[in-house]
Amino acid sequence: MKSSPLALEPGFQLGPVPVSKPVIVTWALMAALALASLLVTRRLSLRPGTGQSALELIVETLDQQIRDTIGVDPAPYRALLGTIFLFVLVANWSSLVPGVEPPTARLETDAALALIVFFATIYHGLRTRGPLGYLATFAEPSIIMIPLNLVEQITRTFSLVVRLFGNIMSGVFVIGVVLSLAGLLVPIPLMALDLLTGAVQAYIFATLAMVFIGSAVDGHGSRARG
Amino acid sequence: MQIDWWTLGLQTVNALVLIWLLSRFLFRPIASILAEREAMARRLLDAAAAAKASALTLEERARAAVDAMAADRAATIHAATTEAKDARDRLLEVARADADRMRADMRTEIERAERSARRAEAERASLLAVDIARRLLERLPASSRVAGFIDGLADAVAALPESARADFAARGEPILTAPRPLTAEEDALCRGRLESAFGRPLKFELRVDPTLLAGLELENAHTGIRNSLRADLEQISATLLTEPENER
Repeated sequence: MKSSPLALEPGFQLGPVPVSKPVIVTWALMAALALASLLVTRRLSLRPGTGQSALELIVETLDQQIRDTIGVDPAPYRALLGTIFLFVLVANWSSLVPGVEPPTARLETDAALALIVFFATIYHGLRTRGPLGYLATFAEPSIIMIPLNLVEQITRTFSLVVRLFGNIMSGVFVIGVVLSLAGLLVPIPLMALDLLTGAVQAYIFATLAMVFIGSAVDGHGSRARG
Repeated sequence: MQIDWWTLGLQTVNALVLIWLLSRFLFRPIASILAEREAMARRLLDAAAAAKASALTLEERARAAVDAMAADRAATIHAATTEAKDARDRLLEVARADADRMRADMRTEIERAERSARRAEAERASLLAVDIARRLLERLPASSRVAGFIDGLADAVAALPESARADFAARGEPILTAPRPLTAEEDALCRGRLESAFGRPLKFELRVDPTLLAGLELENAHTGIRNSLRADLEQISATLLTEPENER
C-alpha cells in the first residue's frame, strides 16, 4: 500500500464524469441488495417460511426501534433508516470480499449518507411541525441556544461522517498494514473484529439518524415513547 | 484530505436510488404483508368474537327453550294432576252419593219388608186371637156374650157429651148390632139402660153379626159406639201394628 489510503482510486470515465471505485462497488452493492430484495419478496405469503420470517423480524425490529426512538408511526421513516442500516452494514462487510474496498471507508460515501440524513431531518421537521414550528426548535430550551443549535446541526452531521469514516477506514488500513507485515492468516482475527465493528457502526449510524430525525419531529406524532 | 465532489454527488444519488429501490422491493412488500396478516388476524379475531357471541346467543336461547319446556312440562303435569284429582273427587262423590242412595233404598226396602212382616204377624196374631176368643166364648154361657156388655154400652153412651148424645138421637133410628138375636129380657134390659143413658125414649133396629163374638155396638149413619170383643181385638191389633213404628 504505497498510495494514501484517503486517495480515491479512479475507475473509469463516463463522459465528463469520473467514476471512482467506491461508486462502482456501491453500484454492485445496490444491484445485489435490489436483486436480493426482489427475490425474497417475490413470493411473500401469509404463512411465512424461514427466510420471510427472518425478513419480517428485521422489519418489525426496525419498526419497533423507530417507535421507541421517534415515537411515531414508522412507515414514513422505514425506507430511509432501513436502507441506511442495510447499506452501511453490507458496505462495511464488503471488505471481506478480496480486492473490494468498502465504500464506507471513503469520505464521500459517508458524507453522502450524512447529507441525506441532514436533509431528511430538515424535511421531516418541516413536514411534521411546519416551518415556524421547526424553526422554533432551534430556540429550545431558550433563545440564546439558537447559535449553538445551528452549529450542532453541522457538527453532528460531521460527527456522523467522521465516526463512520474513521472506524471503517482505520479497520481497512490496519488490516492492510498487518497483512503487509505478518502474512496471510494473521489478519483473520482483525477481520472478524472488523465484522463486529462494521455491524456496530451500521447500527450506530442508523440509530443516530433516527435520533436526529426524532429530535426534529419530537412531540408531533402519536408518541408512545417509554 | 481532498473530497471528490463527483463521487460525493454520485454516492448521494446512489443512496437515494437505493432508498427508492429497497422501499419499492423490500420494505413496502414486507410492510404490506405484515399489515395484511394483521388485518387478517383482526378479521379472524372479529369473526371468532362474532361466532362466540352467536354461540352464546344460541346457548342462551337453548337454555331459555329448555327452561320454557320445563315450565310447560311442570304446568302440564300440574294441570293433569289437578284434573285427575278433580275427576277422582267427582267420581268419589258420585260413588258416595250412589252408595248413600243405595243404602237409603236398601234401608227403605228393609223397613218396608219389616213392616210387611210385622203386619202379617199382627194379622196372624189377630186371627189367632179371634179364633182363640171365639173358642173360649163357645165354652161360656150364651147370655154372657151380650148381658155382660149392656152396662158397658150404656156407660159409653153416658160418657158422651150432652150435645153428642142429643145429636146421635136426632139423626134417626140407630142400629144395635149383637152377636146373636137378643132375648126378650136382654132386649128390655138393653133398651131400658140405653134410654136411661140418652135420657129419653129410644127406638133402634136390631141386627145380628156373629163376627162380633161378644158385646154390642150402636151406630147411626155418622157415629158408632163400639163395645164388642171384635172391636177390642181390632184395637189391640192396630196398637200392635203401630207400636213398633212409634218406638222407632
